Amino acid sequence: MRRICLLLSLLSGAALAADELHLYNWNNYISAQTIERFETECACKVVQDYYSDNEEMLAKLAAGASGYDIIVPTGNAVESLIRQHALRPLDKNHLPHLKNINPAYLDTAFDLGNVYSVPYAYTITLLGYNSQKIAELGLPSDTWAVIFEPRYLEKLKGRVTVLDSQRELIAAALKYLGYSANDVIEAHWQQARDLIIRAKPYWAAFNASSYIKELTVGDIWLVHGYSNDIFQANLDAQKAGRPFSVVASLPKEGAVLSLDSMVLHNSGPRPDLAHRFIDFMLDGKNSAELTNLIGSGNPNLDALQYVRAEIVRDKSVFPDSVQLRHLEMLRDLDRKQRRVLSRIWTEIKLK
Amino acid sequence: MNEQEKIRLTPAARLGKWLVSGPPFLFLLLFFVAPSIIMVLASFRYPGEFGALAPIASADSDTLHGLTLETYEFFFSDIIYSYVFFKSFLVALATTLICLTLAYPLALLIARSPKKSRDLMVLLVVLPFASSFLIRVYAWMILLGPQAALSQVINGMLGVFGIAQVYLLFSPFAVLVAMVYVHLPFMVLPLYTNLEKHDPSLLDAAQDLGANAWQRFWQVTFPLSLPGIFSGSALVFIPVLGMFAIPDILGGTGDMLIGNLIKEQFLATRDWPFGSTLSIMLTIVVLLLVWLAVRLGRTRGRYA
Repeated sequence: MRRICLLLSLLSGAALAADELHLYNWNNYISAQTIERFETECACKVVQDYYSDNEEMLAKLAAGASGYDIIVPTGNAVESLIRQHALRPLDKNHLPHLKNINPAYLDTAFDLGNVYSVPYAYTITLLGYNSQKIAELGLPSDTWAVIFEPRYLEKLKGRVTVLDSQRELIAAALKYLGYSANDVIEAHWQQARDLIIRAKPYWAAFNASSYIKELTVGDIWLVHGYSNDIFQANLDAQKAGRPFSVVASLPKEGAVLSLDSMVLHNSGPRPDLAHRFIDFMLDGKNSAELTNLIGSGNPNLDALQYVRAEIVRDKSVFPDSVQLRHLEMLRDLDRKQRRVLSRIWTEIKLK
Repeated sequence: MNEQEKIRLTPAARLGKWLVSGPPFLFLLLFFVAPSIIMVLASFRYPGEFGALAPIASADSDTLHGLTLETYEFFFSDIIYSYVFFKSFLVALATTLICLTLAYPLALLIARSPKKSRDLMVLLVVLPFASSFLIRVYAWMILLGPQAALSQVINGMLGVFGIAQVYLLFSPFAVLVAMVYVHLPFMVLPLYTNLEKHDPSLLDAAQDLGANAWQRFWQVTFPLSLPGIFSGSALVFIPVLGMFAIPDILGGTGDMLIGNLIKEQFLATRDWPFGSTLSIMLTIVVLLLVWLAVRLGRTRGRYA
């Protein structure tokens, strides 16, 4: 009898294993409860794989990785994947909850008509600062000037980090100079480069990974970083009982908004499960779980009622309509532009 | 009879030779020669629009395809890339010299200790490898951080003399410290294996002939240890040259090395051909250096 039970459980295990959804997502970009709930609902298993930036994901796919049903790339990477014919068009008949998405985040230049992509969440690249220190030093927090102008930086020498990302940092500099974040005129890039080189001696590091910890500990007082990282830094600081909070602030010159969308990869064996998952994530309650967890921006109107009140009030998570007009999504560069930008970046790093 | 034996033995000996040298040969072929050839080929291609490579042949003439020298032109069009190489060399050279200075006395100490404690000491040298490389580098973030004891003491002393505070973390200093720390065992071990084999009677003879301690070291031990120094230096210099993780984690705003630049071409810039070109340049330079070191080792050895 016991043997039969064992056999049965093995068999059912095998059946479960066959119903697998392969999700290729950012690190820490979905709540464990959400995954569990979906697994119960669909009686399937979600197999997750992670990446920490779009380029890593694109490089892995370019090198031939396959078998992913769903990927969650940022806008310009969605565009890349569409133009590579790497994505499967969505069947909207299976996505009744698509109506929940705020129209402001639909029909973007990356995927007109949302043939391939469904908005998932967004982050804004902005300023994060130590409330106590910035107040003590009497510095402004609503402008990129504080990160680029030596007259402010003098008070912050060695206490500032900026993202170790060519596109993001140049975009911030371009915004401060009054250009579009997507400006591709080389002379403007050079202006941005000169601005960065002038500010660089005051910065501690180009940092893409450890600035959350540095903010929490209080070693770094001002960063150019992602809104959800700064949210995390503040949570950690509160948990550790620090006397300061870490605040995110959207510069008035505007900033970069990165909208991550769910797409179906060609190589995914289970488009049926993938559609179910996307529609599940479009449910406001499920979508809100991520925002409550990591403070990511939420394009889902139905989710707002489930998001904690203090997050809904936070302008760096839910910018108002005026701020929204100054936010830009980064477009992809062509190969020549990428090479030129890379050289400018090398100059910045070496000067 | 003798001749027959020779004929009978030769195939067996040949087989044995192949069995011994075959696997490493195959390994080098598979993991060094083949990737290098792929890299050389890639460096003459155009970058694909989405990363990877543009096709060599294309049906419609509008899409970019074929072979080109443009990555090499681009490399030599700007002094900045040669400068990255030069800077990486300086870092690698400094790391090697510091490692040598630190490792030599240690290796000598271990080699001249009694046999029993020797094994324990060697074990201690290798012990750091028991934990992950990244964890050990991250540990330096804490050790060098502004609130750590080291920074406090140094800045306390500087404060007494009215000198401005220094930041140890995110600096060339931090990069160098971690480079030395990570690569030190690679210098100690070859030095130790060399020094351990020295015949102590040579030193006795030198002493009998009136050499003082310094002369005994400089004219006997040191020349004999040159092969150990060369292999240790190669084991430190070459990995440091390609290192990107340490400058990424501990470096400040100006600590880009050639490894970082290459990594960036494959990720952020999605420019595989140019990344390949940089890698090939690095390989060529490293091979040149190894060749130089081998020659230098040989002539010096003969001289000694």
